[in-house]
Amino acid sequence: MTTTVSTPIAVPAKPRHRRRSSPYPTWFLLPAAIVYGILFLIPTFASLYFSLTRWTLFNSSFIGLDNFVAFFEEPFLIQGVVNTIIFALLTCALKVVFGLGLAVLLTSQIHARGLLRSVVFFPVLVSTVGVGIAFTAMMHPTDGIINAGLGLLGIKGPGWLTNPSLAIYSVAFVEVWRGVGLATVIFIAGIVSIPQDYYEAARIDGATGWERFVYITLPLSRPAMVTVVILSFIHGLRNFELVWAMTRGGPGFASDVLASVIYKQYQAGFYGLSTAGNVVLFVLIAAMAVPLYLYLNRKEGHQ
Amino acid sequence: MTLVRRYGLTVAALIGAGFVFVVPFLFIVLTAVKDRTQAAQLDFTWPTSFPLWENFWTVISTRDFMLITAYINSTILTVGSITLLVILAAMVGYVRQRRKAWWNGLVDFLVLAGLMMPPAVVPTIWLLQQLGLFATLHGMIFIEVAYNISFCIILYRAFVATIPREMDEAAIIDGARPMDIFFRVILPMLKPVTITVIVVQSVAIFNDFVNPLYYLPGNDNVTVQLTLYNFQSQFNTSYNLLFMNILLVTIPPLIVFLFFNRQIVAGMTSGAVKG
Amino acid sequence: MSDLTLKSIRKSYGAVEVIKGIDLEIAHGEFVVFVGPSGCGKSTLLRMIAGLEEITAGSLHIGNVLCNDVEPRDRGIAMVFQSYALYPHMTVYDNVGFGLKLAKAPKDGRDKKIRDAARILQMEHLLDRKPSQLSGGQRQRVAIGRAIVRQPEVFLFDEPLSNLDAALRVDMRMELSKLHQELGATMIYVTHDQVEAMTLADKIVVLNGGEVQQAGAPIELYQHPANLFVAGFIGSPKMNFLPVTVKGIEGDTIVVQADEIDDLRVSIPGATARPGDAMTLGIRPHALRTGADGPIKGTVDLVERLGNETIVNFRLGGGTQWLAVLDGDMPLHRGQTVGFTAPEGEPVLFDRDGRNIAIANPQAEKAA
Repeated sequence: MTTTVSTPIAVPAKPRHRRRSSPYPTWFLLPAAIVYGILFLIPTFASLYFSLTRWTLFNSSFIGLDNFVAFFEEPFLIQGVVNTIIFALLTCALKVVFGLGLAVLLTSQIHARGLLRSVVFFPVLVSTVGVGIAFTAMMHPTDGIINAGLGLLGIKGPGWLTNPSLAIYSVAFVEVWRGVGLATVIFIAGIVSIPQDYYEAARIDGATGWERFVYITLPLSRPAMVTVVILSFIHGLRNFELVWAMTRGGPGFASDVLASVIYKQYQAGFYGLSTAGNVVLFVLIAAMAVPLYLYLNRKEGHQ
Repeated sequence: MTLVRRYGLTVAALIGAGFVFVVPFLFIVLTAVKDRTQAAQLDFTWPTSFPLWENFWTVISTRDFMLITAYINSTILTVGSITLLVILAAMVGYVRQRRKAWWNGLVDFLVLAGLMMPPAVVPTIWLLQQLGLFATLHGMIFIEVAYNISFCIILYRAFVATIPREMDEAAIIDGARPMDIFFRVILPMLKPVTITVIVVQSVAIFNDFVNPLYYLPGNDNVTVQLTLYNFQSQFNTSYNLLFMNILLVTIPPLIVFLFFNRQIVAGMTSGAVKG
Repeated sequence: MSDLTLKSIRKSYGAVEVIKGIDLEIAHGEFVVFVGPSGCGKSTLLRMIAGLEEITAGSLHIGNVLCNDVEPRDRGIAMVFQSYALYPHMTVYDNVGFGLKLAKAPKDGRDKKIRDAARILQMEHLLDRKPSQLSGGQRQRVAIGRAIVRQPEVFLFDEPLSNLDAALRVDMRMELSKLHQELGATMIYVTHDQVEAMTLADKIVVLNGGEVQQAGAPIELYQHPANLFVAGFIGSPKMNFLPVTVKGIEGDTIVVQADEIDDLRVSIPGATARPGDAMTLGIRPHALRTGADGPIKGTVDLVERLGNETIVNFRLGGGTQWLAVLDGDMPLHRGQTVGFTAPEGEPVLFDRDGRNIAIANPQAEKAA
């Protein structure tokens, strides 16, 4: 790029009277900016202040970083932060693995591809709360059909949601079940956009199916991979509905995540603490998702 | 791939998908049409009696037909939010794509932030109270617009890029003013992506649970997702009714899915190819 | 009257100047073609006249009105775009009538104008169709129809035929010519195709690098190109060039020499040249004749025998590629050495700056 500072070109001699109006007026942004600015930006900035206060919605007293200190001293709050990270990492990883596997399967030469795609995708559109309630019933420790099924195989199933060390993983499993369809269709879109020529060339070169997957499918569906990783990771960090519908964060605080902590503190009237939880969530997303976004998008040309 | 392997894989896939994805839905449907005692066993068996109509009527009429109110509210919420979303997001996507200006970077940043960042709920409630919008349907509509507009802007912006600028210019020469160009030339041409936006967002807003939970307390403004939550305690022991409720709440997205499968997938996977 | 006057028009994007001061007079009813290679600024210039690009400096008058800051809709112009830019969601009828509707013209008057335009363009049967149901040629007609109903003083065409196949292009060229005669309006037409320019124009404006190289009647430009660029751009096949040195002057005749050819006599009345001047010799392929003892000798590379004429690709002694177009059928063959002559009046000489020495002041040409 040459950015010549001194321009030898003659500046227009006459001063211009007025610019003609642009066909793309700036005020077109205004309605959206007002709604977004008032209902999203202002609360976000306000949260930075209120997270430093003891707050009753009517008056607030500044208490410095006490709320944040609480987040890292109270065991049940730390638990929430740790669970959030576990939940996000686990669901993200499993959605990538299963999503990619299903996508490869559903783009291969099998029958009933359309039907299978629909079946895998449909849970994405179902009410998350409904899914949570249904799985809570299915994961019932004694009566649930999952453990009943395991019982037929002679396995005594665990208390999926009642065992404190297992609850968050069970919820994560249901989240993977619910969201893998979205990952799958994204991977499918990525895979079908790969020109068939590459596969034919590789086949002529004698590549096996596995080699074609590793050397063609995987690298060339990278944009899809980026989308899936970022989408499911952020979704995992923000997850609330499933946890709330299935365990309410329980047993005890064993399956609390940040979003459910925020809601609980809000219900309990600890508005400052709740808002601090929100800020912790911002920071978590900014600290994990933004570098991830930049890392995954590196070397890709600008649009 | 040999024919045998192909069939083998197909059968394996069908059985696997059947177990993992179909059984839970069958379980919901079967439980919804059972009587109370059989439903309480939570097992995967054929209903001994079919109190379908009875279950349906009980769910519908509970708490003074709360589910009906909820359907009306959810419909108003969905239609209102989407109308605003389509127009506002299309306007932003269009001007952002067409015009070179200093604020382009700022717009992109805010769109990305809106896509990734969770809303600050308590300050939002505080603000809604100040504005007199807390626990109102129209306040909720604006909330849905604010939270979902980023995604819509991205879809619109990408689509506007495929419309040649000569279209705008032809309209300018024809004497169109900025409003005419947008509403009479560009917006009609955005129809494919508008359908995608409507379909994807209507499912998302209809299924939204968290935001109504925070911003729409009270029984008057209940949405369908909140009925599930409210009934969960009430139907504690009546799994048949709870599952009938789930079934009823799932029907609208199911209908949308049956008719607009392709648009939904297109909308949700946009960006998968280009990054 | 709606003469069009451009005075020292300039356009720059930041520090990059793409139009470097253009002066041009276009009389009412003239058919003017802007021609030049891609990136020469011809489309930018047209878009500035249309009002789609801001004018950085200079003045644009349409009629007697200074139009720099006038909105496109108030300039009395209509434009036909390269991609036609038909509104895909409207029928042909609505496409053509859109401008009238925006101008809030009464419904009956609108209808009459739309139907008149359709009749002129013989597309009355297409009025109810959508653009996607039309062929390329039909879309072109609709685009022109949309321009006609505006009853503009000036029609602007931005490479309107480049998306059509060759046969259709010739037809549409003739129709445009006819339309020009029928309507009597000013037409400004941008193309990179010099054949289109030659056949359509009353006046051709050759642009390169954001400057007018020469403006004038097509034949004028062909016979008296102002400079090397115009000489090379106008005429097909391209003019042959060779660097030469002036050996001597005999009255109106200049004798030039070069390593690759024998001495050549060029008759240019009133030209000034001194022995030893470095120049560029230009000879059109059509001006060459075979002659065994001609001053130009070459080895034949390729012969294209078309029956009525023969196109000979040949190499001069130093390897320079030239072309000759000979009348009738010439049974030449590859590798053969052929001699060529050129009538004394035909060759052109360009000075060190590329200017045609027969035209003392190329600037004078612009006023034509």
